Amino acid sequence: MTEDPTALGGETARPGATGAKGRDARKRWRRQLFRSPVAVVGFSIIGFFLVVVAFAPFIAPYSPTRQTLRSTYVPPGIGVSLRGPEGQLGVWVREVTRSPSAGVVVGEDAYPVRLLVRGERWTWFFGLVSSEWKLFGVDGPVRFYVMGTDEQGRDLLSRLIHGAWISLFIGLIAISIGAGIGVPVGAVSGFYAGTTDLVIQRLIDIMLAFPGILLAIVLVATFGTGLRNVMIAVGIAAIPIYARLVRGSVLSVRNREYVEAARALGLRSLPTLVRHVLPNVMAPIIVQSSLQMAIAILFAAGLGFLGLGAKPPQPEWGLMLARGREYLAVAPHVATFPGLAIVVVVLGFNLVGDALRDALDPRLAR
Amino acid sequence: MFQYALRRVLIAVPSLVGVIVIVFFMVRLAPGDPATYLAGEFAPAETIEAIRRRFGLDRPLHEQFGIYVVSLGQGDLGRSTRTQRMVIDDLKQFFPNTLELALGAITIAMLIGIPAGVVAAIKQNTWADLFVTVGALIGVSMPVFWFGLLAILYFSVELGWFPVAGRGSLAHLVLPAVTLGVSSMAIVARMTRSAMLEVLSQDYIRTATAKGLVRNRVVLKHAFRNAMVPIVTIGGLEFGNLMAGAVLTETVFNWPGIGRLLVNSIQARDYPVVQGVVLLIAVSFILINIAVDFIYAVIDPRIRYD
Repeated sequence: MTEDPTALGGETARPGATGAKGRDARKRWRRQLFRSPVAVVGFSIIGFFLVVVAFAPFIAPYSPTRQTLRSTYVPPGIGVSLRGPEGQLGVWVREVTRSPSAGVVVGEDAYPVRLLVRGERWTWFFGLVSSEWKLFGVDGPVRFYVMGTDEQGRDLLSRLIHGAWISLFIGLIAISIGAGIGVPVGAVSGFYAGTTDLVIQRLIDIMLAFPGILLAIVLVATFGTGLRNVMIAVGIAAIPIYARLVRGSVLSVRNREYVEAARALGLRSLPTLVRHVLPNVMAPIIVQSSLQMAIAILFAAGLGFLGLGAKPPQPEWGLMLARGREYLAVAPHVATFPGLAIVVVVLGFNLVGDALRDALDPRLAR
Repeated sequence: MFQYALRRVLIAVPSLVGVIVIVFFMVRLAPGDPATYLAGEFAPAETIEAIRRRFGLDRPLHEQFGIYVVSLGQGDLGRSTRTQRMVIDDLKQFFPNTLELALGAITIAMLIGIPAGVVAAIKQNTWADLFVTVGALIGVSMPVFWFGLLAILYFSVELGWFPVAGRGSLAHLVLPAVTLGVSSMAIVARMTRSAMLEVLSQDYIRTATAKGLVRNRVVLKHAFRNAMVPIVTIGGLEFGNLMAGAVLTETVFNWPGIGRLLVNSIQARDYPVVQGVVLLIAVSFILINIAVDFIYAVIDPRIRYD
């Protein structure tokens, strides 16, 4: 047999896969999604975040680890003015140093900030890209600190920008592990029911007995601290969430007519599951992945904050926050900006998750 | 009802066993030999061997597990390798503090979250609704530890209203409890809003309004009571989550609870304490979930258990 007869059911089984009807539905869905301001804001945040990750060393004015011990704890915006020495418009920067006796000292000479300047050489994408060009920088022998500096005089903005990929990466790895294991497990559990279901569900129960971030903490405590283990731990903590979700969805579609039809036509159970059941439970998986991304970033930052994740001098946001906590009263900006970055990115993924849920399930849209 | 209760408790047994197994293996799977770790890096082989014998690490795994379970049954969780104190004593000392914090947090979360959700629902698509919805979204997107730091910065350092850290008076409890409760507050508000909207669109609400009842009476007496079921459920589940969330909040505020104990013990590789805390949180969480199911059964007469 060259052609699978059950494939004829594809149009009903996968809405929007083929045919004019499907295209219409998809167009309508997309229109609805982008009409909601929630989705637009969410996607904009994520888009901005991705651009920052992709062009981090080009956008960041300095290296995230370069120390300037003469300029520690510089508050944000000091030494930066919007008028030049002769009243010209533009951003002008004066040198800022910290002296033990006089506190923050702002220098005399002002230098302009220009777009596209040459700076320190950087490499990115594991050494594949290398350049000296920066998006913006000071045309002169001083450094400027839009968000101030930390205890070692490192530029906070550069550290935040360079740390963005860590959050993105943790999120992606975590949902890959969570969905990669949780979805098949949940699908098998819901589709085959009976003893398989019972056994899998008890195992899931055990994982769910560790609330929230605790499962990730347990795993990190067991296998050791560090960024790699955090990614794995946060991913494993997401498995039961996906498994429960997919099981529920599969249970609700496994007795639909098109699944019965596939069975009646003699398709074996695994192909039925993969070809006809799974595509119809994708919507909640996509929604969950966006929300899970938010949770993963929060968990990873939490573990970083507890000192169980990234190690110094990595510019991981949670770790930066933890360091900033130690001199909160002296330099509050060091803890404020990383937290703000986390809130914005997590909010972006939460907004997109909410918007997707509303668009994919019209009954929930209120 | 009794049968349901029995069945519900029985379903939790595999979880309980699973938790014990996982906690037991935590130490055994950890990289490095615990005996070497306890003895120190440069300890002579005899010392390591003696420690191995003393902690029973030289016996086969299933025997070790048997011993572990038996001592668990006797309430013996071992001794801290750092302080030599009995783990059970540590838990007895610090757990009430965490409970206090979690109770404070859930109280604040419910007291603010429920009214906020109700208002958002009855004033749907107004500024009040937008305020609650956006506020709740930011609430769930915020790292608790960051919120805690900002709270300390503003209310303790700047205004001097509350102590910076530690435990003692009621004033000590305010900031940590609010910090821990923020995300639960947001979740409760969202849940209340959607549950209220669901109920408000029902026929009996329209009937109540049509027969001329005052709006407030309809909302409170007819709608809110019916929306209680999901709200109580989420509140209960959140309370369980707060136990774990306390780990971060306690670190920020130096709150002497089991969360901070856990983090300190992980950093010191004090495994008996880590095991004890993890076991305690997981078991409390299982028990809370059972309790939520019971409350669910009591407040919703539509649910029958047979």
